[in-house]
Amino acid sequence: MRPLHALLLLIVLLAAPTFAQAQLYQVPGQNSPTTKEQVPLYVPQDDKVIGRVSIPDEKLAVLVQPEGREWREWRSHTLRLAIGGLAIGMTAVLAIFFLYRGTIRIHGGRSRRLVLRFNWADRFAHWTTAVSFLIMALTGVILTFGRPLLIPLIGHQAFTPLAEYAKSLHNFVSVPFVVGLLMILALWLRDNVPEKADWIWIRTAGGLFSKAGGHHPEAGRFNAGQKMVFWSIVLGGIGMAATGYLMMVPFAFTGIGGMQIMHVIHGLLAAGLIAAVIGHIYIGTIGMEGAFDAMGCGVVDENWAMEHHRRWYEEQLRKGYVEGRQPAE
Amino acid sequence: MARMKFLCDAERCIECNACVTACKNEHEVPWGINRRRLVTLNDGKPGERSISMACMHCNDPPCAAVCPVDCFLQTADGVVLHSKDLCIGCGYCFYACPFGAPQYPRTTDFGSRGKMDKCTFCAGGPEPDGSVEEYQKYGANRLAEGKLPLCAEMCSTRALMAGDGAVLADIYQERSLRRGYGSGAPGWSTAYGRNDRGSPFGPGGPGTGGA
Amino acid sequence: MLVKRSSAKAAGAKRSGLIAALADSLESGVSRRGFLRRSGLAAGGIAAVGALPGAMIRKAEAGPILPNVEVVTRKNVCTHCSVGCTVIAEVQNGVWVGQEPGWESPINQGTHCAKGASVRELTKGTRRVKYPLKLVDGVWQRIGWDQAIEEIGNQLMDIRKASGPDAVFWLGSAKFSNEGAYLYRKLAAFWGTNNVDHQARICHSTTVAGVANTWGYGAMTNSYNDIQNSKALVIVGGNPAEAHPVSMQHMLRGKEHNRAPFIVIDPRFTRTAAHATEYVRIRPGTDIPVAWGLLWHIFENGWEDKEYIRQRVYGMDEIRAEVKKWTPEEVERVTGAPGSQLRRVAEALAKNKPSTVIWCMGVTQHTVGTANVRALSILQLALGNIGVAGGGANIYRGHCNVQGATDFGLDVSTLPAYYGLAEGAWKHFARAWDVDYDYLKGRFATKDLMEAKGIPTTRWFDAVLAKPGEIDQPSPLRAMMCFGHGGNTVTRMPEMVKGLEKLSLLVIADPHPTTFAAIKERRNGTYILPACTQFETDGSRTCSNRSMQWGEKVVEPIFESKDDYAIIYLLARKLGFADEMFKHITVEKDRPVPEDILREMNRSCLSIGATGQSPERLKMHMKHQADFDKITMRASSGPCAGDYYGLPWPSWGHPEIRHPGSAVLYDTSKHVMDGGGVFRARFGVERNGVSLLADGSYSKGSEIEDGYPEFTMAVLKKLGWDKDLTPDEMRVIQAIGGTDVDNVSWQTDLSMGIIRVALKHGCVPHGNAKARAVAWNLPDPVPVHREPIYSPRPELVKAYPAIEDRRDFRLVQLARSLQFKVADSDLRQRFPMVLTSGRLVEYEGGGEETRSNPWLAELQQSMFAEINTKDAERLGIRDGAWVWVYGPEDGGKAKVKALVTDRVGGGTVFMPFHFSGFWQGDSLRGNYPPDTDPIVLGEPVNGVTTYGYDPVTFMQETKVTLCRVEPA
Repeated sequence: MRPLHALLLLIVLLAAPTFAQAQLYQVPGQNSPTTKEQVPLYVPQDDKVIGRVSIPDEKLAVLVQPEGREWREWRSHTLRLAIGGLAIGMTAVLAIFFLYRGTIRIHGGRSRRLVLRFNWADRFAHWTTAVSFLIMALTGVILTFGRPLLIPLIGHQAFTPLAEYAKSLHNFVSVPFVVGLLMILALWLRDNVPEKADWIWIRTAGGLFSKAGGHHPEAGRFNAGQKMVFWSIVLGGIGMAATGYLMMVPFAFTGIGGMQIMHVIHGLLAAGLIAAVIGHIYIGTIGMEGAFDAMGCGVVDENWAMEHHRRWYEEQLRKGYVEGRQPAE
Repeated sequence: MARMKFLCDAERCIECNACVTACKNEHEVPWGINRRRLVTLNDGKPGERSISMACMHCNDPPCAAVCPVDCFLQTADGVVLHSKDLCIGCGYCFYACPFGAPQYPRTTDFGSRGKMDKCTFCAGGPEPDGSVEEYQKYGANRLAEGKLPLCAEMCSTRALMAGDGAVLADIYQERSLRRGYGSGAPGWSTAYGRNDRGSPFGPGGPGTGGA
Repeated sequence: MLVKRSSAKAAGAKRSGLIAALADSLESGVSRRGFLRRSGLAAGGIAAVGALPGAMIRKAEAGPILPNVEVVTRKNVCTHCSVGCTVIAEVQNGVWVGQEPGWESPINQGTHCAKGASVRELTKGTRRVKYPLKLVDGVWQRIGWDQAIEEIGNQLMDIRKASGPDAVFWLGSAKFSNEGAYLYRKLAAFWGTNNVDHQARICHSTTVAGVANTWGYGAMTNSYNDIQNSKALVIVGGNPAEAHPVSMQHMLRGKEHNRAPFIVIDPRFTRTAAHATEYVRIRPGTDIPVAWGLLWHIFENGWEDKEYIRQRVYGMDEIRAEVKKWTPEEVERVTGAPGSQLRRVAEALAKNKPSTVIWCMGVTQHTVGTANVRALSILQLALGNIGVAGGGANIYRGHCNVQGATDFGLDVSTLPAYYGLAEGAWKHFARAWDVDYDYLKGRFATKDLMEAKGIPTTRWFDAVLAKPGEIDQPSPLRAMMCFGHGGNTVTRMPEMVKGLEKLSLLVIADPHPTTFAAIKERRNGTYILPACTQFETDGSRTCSNRSMQWGEKVVEPIFESKDDYAIIYLLARKLGFADEMFKHITVEKDRPVPEDILREMNRSCLSIGATGQSPERLKMHMKHQADFDKITMRASSGPCAGDYYGLPWPSWGHPEIRHPGSAVLYDTSKHVMDGGGVFRARFGVERNGVSLLADGSYSKGSEIEDGYPEFTMAVLKKLGWDKDLTPDEMRVIQAIGGTDVDNVSWQTDLSMGIIRVALKHGCVPHGNAKARAVAWNLPDPVPVHREPIYSPRPELVKAYPAIEDRRDFRLVQLARSLQFKVADSDLRQRFPMVLTSGRLVEYEGGGEETRSNPWLAELQQSMFAEINTKDAERLGIRDGAWVWVYGPEDGGKAKVKALVTDRVGGGTVFMPFHFSGFWQGDSLRGNYPPDTDPIVLGEPVNGVTTYGYDPVTFMQETKVTLCRVEPA
């Protein structure tokens, strides 16, 4: 395995496409072979060989692209290791964490007073993105791991249609994903601007490890952890969409080297995002009491809000978004 | 057992494109699919050489290794074929192929790029030899008729050769010896590995490829 | 990974092809058996085939399309270039379904180029003309054959009545079979005009004139195969890698096997130059200084073959005097080629003998084309390389039958077989055709016009636009019958378009509509007749090396098309002279039988020895191709034993005497009955007191061991050989000679008795003379350098001026006056680059046919201009960007793509000549008849090319003019 080796090599090669000057003797002379064994047959072609073709198709002008080998290494091994490793690793870490910490309870218990956290637009955006992401992750995983895992189970004949549907879904579902992503960006960008308080949150790891509870660093609508999820999804998502769409119009904007890099970036981002999303799902469900309500029905318990997002809670209170309480003042 | 290979003698190739149109003719290859093509290096300068390139039928085919649906197969004589019934047109084989051999009917692919098409060494596909279905999907199966790929058979200067790798190497070496120069067979190292002398059971032979 | 049916694959391979595909292995010492053994396909493998279940064994032909349907194999010849590659067609249910390599052909040995490997598409014919068409007010209407012939015939008769027979221009084709070419020439003769021409005018007319005036015959002296014997090759103004790719097989073998220097002299670094051991870049249009520059070193160092010159060359001393002027310094000043490099080339040619000189249109298409040809011929004479295997002047003709069409008289200056137009020639053919001489004379406007050279195809539009007094015939041209000829092949297209507009009748008989049909200025009076290709008929064609090959009909003419014989017959019948014209030619179902036409040619074309190639012998050669040696082209066994492949002319006398043909012309090392020969005594026996006959040189076994004149009855009598004539022969000779029997010559003796007797005594019928280094009948008896009309070096014009203005071919020829005008103007500043043109491998000629073939068209999808990288940088032109190329005449311009490359030198622009269908930026696609527009269209280079003609043949100047390139 050569993790990232492929990517680095590709970047280097893309930056400096070299012109291979073949060894071309045309005239018999001192270098002429005298035995058959001296006739070179295997000439190492380590450099990309690009020439000219009369057909107006640039990619056909690439005679030899040894980087294909690196890409093959990436596609056959590195990619699987990255996605599988990060996903499994993240799951394992979370499992250990869960064993250690269990579900993080609302310290003060449920107050039964609800605070509006996400309106319908927020929730629509989130779930559009979330569902499309999950579909794309699943279909991507099928395409990546189907050959070693599914073909032995269901056979070539059944796997091909599955892969074909997976591929179509992967491509088409990208549209709602991008729509959701843009909505998220528009709706939540303001609340995700990093601020000084985030530093404290990060330093104390958001109080995740303090079993005593209740000692949450102060946070606005989104704490630093959530902001990190936001930015990874937004930036990672945009990166994936961009590389994905470029791969859907192959060679429209770049040559073979660029296409390979596109794929590598797409795969690395996928690995990272899948791992991040696993963490996100964990904390939004079994990891923390009351968290799912926020996206589930849009409202959270007042105590949860005060414990985790005090500054935001106070603001909601001021605006009158807390059930049964008059705005202060 | 013969190990089928291509060898293009760049000292002989004059970029006449006979191999290209012979291929089009024999298999009725549609416009836009370039199973074989000619690439000119150092165009217009002393040392200019042209090379006819198609699928080289590698020992350890990268296309087969990266195919998500495992649609490739390699015959006992080392010819790399694929099943269009299984292919989903993802385009990965093109990324991996060192020689740009895989071709696709469509350039954009919101749905799919269509079934991949490539040089079959005039050996058809997985269908029964010489069947109508085989012809429609992959073109003629000359190998089954005891003939070699038409591109090589028609090459104007006998630059492009096809056949058992050991014999090709021998011819090429004798030819180079006779004329006193030779610059190596383009693509051989990449396709067949440096130490290979043509055995399909050598390093990276069929059975060892894929993942 | 799956492994497919391994047993079937391995065992099913009998791979006969494998052995042949790698024919080189046999040459290099791997025996057939050894090959089988080593490839693991030895007897065991073949035996295994027999052991397989029946179902596994399929006939090799059991092709792709329809299993269990009979496959018929037919043998024809590629219809593109002059190499003459055998095409093997597999036909099922009358449809051409597959092409196989013609392994047995000694010429191509199974190989093809892009064009040859794609000829099957021609009979699929999606873009072919499918039925006769008539242009009515700018709209193409489908009509029937009867209506077409009726209307065309009536209009021709009307024009004849009003303006005389010379008002019709009969443009024939190098794509005709020999029989078609001969028949078309005969048609023009019976119509009563010498205005009959074809593509040879624009490709090698200067070669034919140049070499015929030097040593007797206008053809390649050796063969493609023979180049394998060469110890050095020089290619001047030719790009066989693109124009004749299969010939490169022989050339590269020669280069490799003999370790021969392979020298390319060309303004452009071509794909041929890529394989050269030495490439000499010269300025376009300076071939004579290069030839003289080489000879300067040869004479200076005494490398010439003095004995050969003494015995076989006339006038070399006058050449020496001219060559003396071309010192290395002056050569470099004029051509740009360094003296040291030319010395190296001269030495390579002189010290590696036999050496061959190969040339093509880079030499011929010049205002000094004939002189260029003569200069190179003289170079070979000085080296003693003519008449030697491995030497020779290997002139690569262009189209598949341009040699044959030239031989059989598609030419304004001669009847078939170069008999000329004098009264004697007409009388010979009147006898051969069994018509009254006075009848033929009556067909012409006057006897003078009957014996006057006609209007050549390079200038037909000048003859249309000419005012009555400007043209030496009663009327300007009013109608053009255009068979198999592109409309974009001659220079000065803006003028041509004007001429086209003015024609009252234009008839195009072609498989494709051609550029003529797409010129939008014409709205009426145009007919298109669907002629089929040579794959849909049978007949013989002559390759560049003079071998004749019989092509077998592969499929019936597709759609409503007809072959040339049938169309010519229908026209002749409508015009009222079919009975006379086809007196001795069988006509079956309105189609003359080609075998009969060839027999008539065999009877009449004595002068080039086109008499031994009977249809039976030619068919036998095609059938037994495998018996012929791949280098000498001679069969050593089988029914053709002793023959050279295709009986390259001269094949003297009746077919029955079995002359083997002559693979190498003028080869004295062989007996004349073995294909030996000597230079032809064509120009008399002495000049200014100096004998023109060979001095002590003669072909092996000759009873006359010295030079001798051509054979006539008088000569036979003098030698006492007239007694060898049979009574039957004597009767014929007496009938021909009448009161003047002594003057009956080998050329006019239809009994061929004189030829037979000469051969019997080991003599060549045409006499044994010296080759002429000085050809006193030409405008430049000693070739001298003359700058092109549009010279990029005005300062050289005064020293090397063009020829004086003159009249010829019924028209005025401007030369020096125009050249001086150009040199004195500011044209050079406004058009600072040199424009030259040439060929692409994918396309052929005007290109309509090949641009309609998707397999070829895909490979060259747009017209381009090659521009040197430095020029492009200076002009701000990117590779692939659109540019305008402007020409200096008539507002000529073309919008093309830039191909930025070092193939061309700085200041030079190259454009291929195969494109048309765009005109000055506009597409003409809509003007083609529906569904016949070629897939790829582009600007014709001849929209930019300019005035300039060779004085001997009116060959056009396509290789040097001026231009300006601007980003579009």
